Amino acid sequence: MPQEEPDRSAASIIEFCQFARDSGLPAGVQQTLAAIEVAETIDADDRQSFVFALRSVLCSSKEEWDLFSKIVDAFWSASRSRSGAASGEGKEARFTTHRPKPSSRALMAESDAEASPADSEGKAVSGASTQHRLQSVDLSNVPHDDLDALEQISLRLFRKMSQRLSRRFRIRNLGDRMDMRRTIRRSIPRGGDPIDLAFQARKPRKHRLVIFLDVSGSMNSYSLFLVRFAYALQKHFKNVNTFLFSTNVIEITDVLRVRDLPDALRRLSQRAAGWAGGTKIGESLQEFNRQHGKKLLSRNTVFIILSDGWDTGEPEKLAAELRIIRRRAQKLIWLNPLLGLKDYAPVTRGMSAALPHVDVFAAAHNLESLLSVEKYL
Amino acid sequence: MPAYPKLPEDSQIKDVDALIRGFERLGYITDRDLATAVYLVVKLRKPLLIEGHAGLGKTEVAKVLAAMLGTLLIRLQCYEGLDVSSAVYEWNYQKQLLAIKIQERTEQTVQEKEKHIFGKEFLLERPLLQSILAEDASPVLLIDEVDRADEAFEAFLLELLSDFQITVPEMGTIKAKHVPYVILTSNRTRELSDALKRRCFYHWIDYPSFEKELKIVRARLPGVEAELGTQVVRFVQAVRQLDLAKPPGVTETLDCAHSVMSLGKRRLDAQTAEETLGCVAKSMEDTAKLKATGIEKMLS
Repeated sequence: MPQEEPDRSAASIIEFCQFARDSGLPAGVQQTLAAIEVAETIDADDRQSFVFALRSVLCSSKEEWDLFSKIVDAFWSASRSRSGAASGEGKEARFTTHRPKPSSRALMAESDAEASPADSEGKAVSGASTQHRLQSVDLSNVPHDDLDALEQISLRLFRKMSQRLSRRFRIRNLGDRMDMRRTIRRSIPRGGDPIDLAFQARKPRKHRLVIFLDVSGSMNSYSLFLVRFAYALQKHFKNVNTFLFSTNVIEITDVLRVRDLPDALRRLSQRAAGWAGGTKIGESLQEFNRQHGKKLLSRNTVFIILSDGWDTGEPEKLAAELRIIRRRAQKLIWLNPLLGLKDYAPVTRGMSAALPHVDVFAAAHNLESLLSVEKYL
Repeated sequence: MPAYPKLPEDSQIKDVDALIRGFERLGYITDRDLATAVYLVVKLRKPLLIEGHAGLGKTEVAKVLAAMLGTLLIRLQCYEGLDVSSAVYEWNYQKQLLAIKIQERTEQTVQEKEKHIFGKEFLLERPLLQSILAEDASPVLLIDEVDRADEAFEAFLLELLSDFQITVPEMGTIKAKHVPYVILTSNRTRELSDALKRRCFYHWIDYPSFEKELKIVRARLPGVEAELGTQVVRFVQAVRQLDLAKPPGVTETLDCAHSVMSLGKRRLDAQTAEETLGCVAKSMEDTAKLKATGIEKMLS
């Protein structure tokens, strides 16, 4: 069956790599070259090994590995139907660019709604651009079937961010000094030559992050993502404490500490009462200050509030509690998802009472804004 | 000197099938996809990154490959805080100092002395340097559990894996005479950097199917009775469905079968399974979960 046999010519491998890229694999030029090289190594009759070999080259994680078999099926069924329908055109048909698959097109629909269809096709060249677009989509506007894709991207980005962060902290803590006294003492058995050097390590300053996350009704469309954000931060910092609040406060640090996220979310849904209820930020902060303030607030603490500021409690109380936190913590950051909206101004009673006490007031409506939190830490 | 059969390096591996047969002869049952990846390593000398759960024979791939090629296996076990001095090279300071003392009264110039004490005889070769310096054939270099090393070390690996050379400041750049076959393994406790992944072929090793696992048990434990082997494999496969914190790998299957045989039992009944539960469940929670589900039920 000639059309079932994958064509090994460089052109069709390049075509396949492009197709794979459109479907979400990060197959760059380097991978394409490697794929061509690999194709020359494998015996021409061994189709199965050829596919396996391509997979080894083009994938670099379990997720991509799983995606690959779908891409292969889609590619070869597409090229079969094409060569059947347009057999007269022969080779030319091979070089036409593939339309992005419906799923990847749906991913882009959100931000490209106004763009002309030709435009959106032109953009669909690499997985990276899809990723870029999703980064700036408002989290509350993501259509349901794209949540998975967005989640994968966000986990990857958050991981990168927290790696960068923890690296920065580690470097700051470097700077050992030599302990001359012990070095000289140790050099005596060596005839006075200082071979074993002794060092004095500075005591590492421990940074602490406290995340205070609003899960009331008005935050509903964001809170799930923000929990993931907290999870990612917690995964790479030892000293993170995460709290959920609406009308009361619960600590979920231990829930987020488990290894995989779905498990954490499942446990969370069992634990958290008061999802999507009303908001009493002032009372919640008071409860926090009473129960955990002594333990968690210090000059090394960065306190992050994730809330839209719709408060049904007393604004004075909110201001007072924020003042307490501001005095004792290193920095107080308020991230507000609504700040990303065009015509939003922080004029609600709660928000305007809070603003004077906040060091950083920033948006948190999409991945890009969440990632930029890094620079405040 | 260990006696390796003298073989012109990879001539015995003509195609993927030859490699599968070669592995099988050494007791390693492999799927075609893994064999293809290893075949590419042999032919193209690009590193292979194998990821997967613990106990599925990731490390074994390198060992079997070395045995099949009749070449040296050099292993680097990664851990947090692994640094250049224990992975690549270190100067033998004590010996250098002695040499300085000995040279004190000679007429050599300072340059000559310095050249002497930074010579090869004062260099302690650690695994990565060893793999580059191999004299007569390409060794297999196994970088085990690379996810445990920190990112700085991973970055260092990049030079080695793309150019197969190592720079020692006092001596200059050393290029590999024989490019080693490199296998990296990772348990996925953290994500590796994209730069490292890009330089490697990738393989995800999954839990084996029932038939394959049975084949493995037969290959590794020739003394096991067919009935017992089937029972143990079926039991472990059922346990894997339970969503344990540490699902048992193939190593655990072999352990379990071996233990049952050592107890002098010929069949795996509920009581024996409970006695050897430590082979498959590796934490208190997992044991409790297993018992709650009912061992009897999983055996049937």
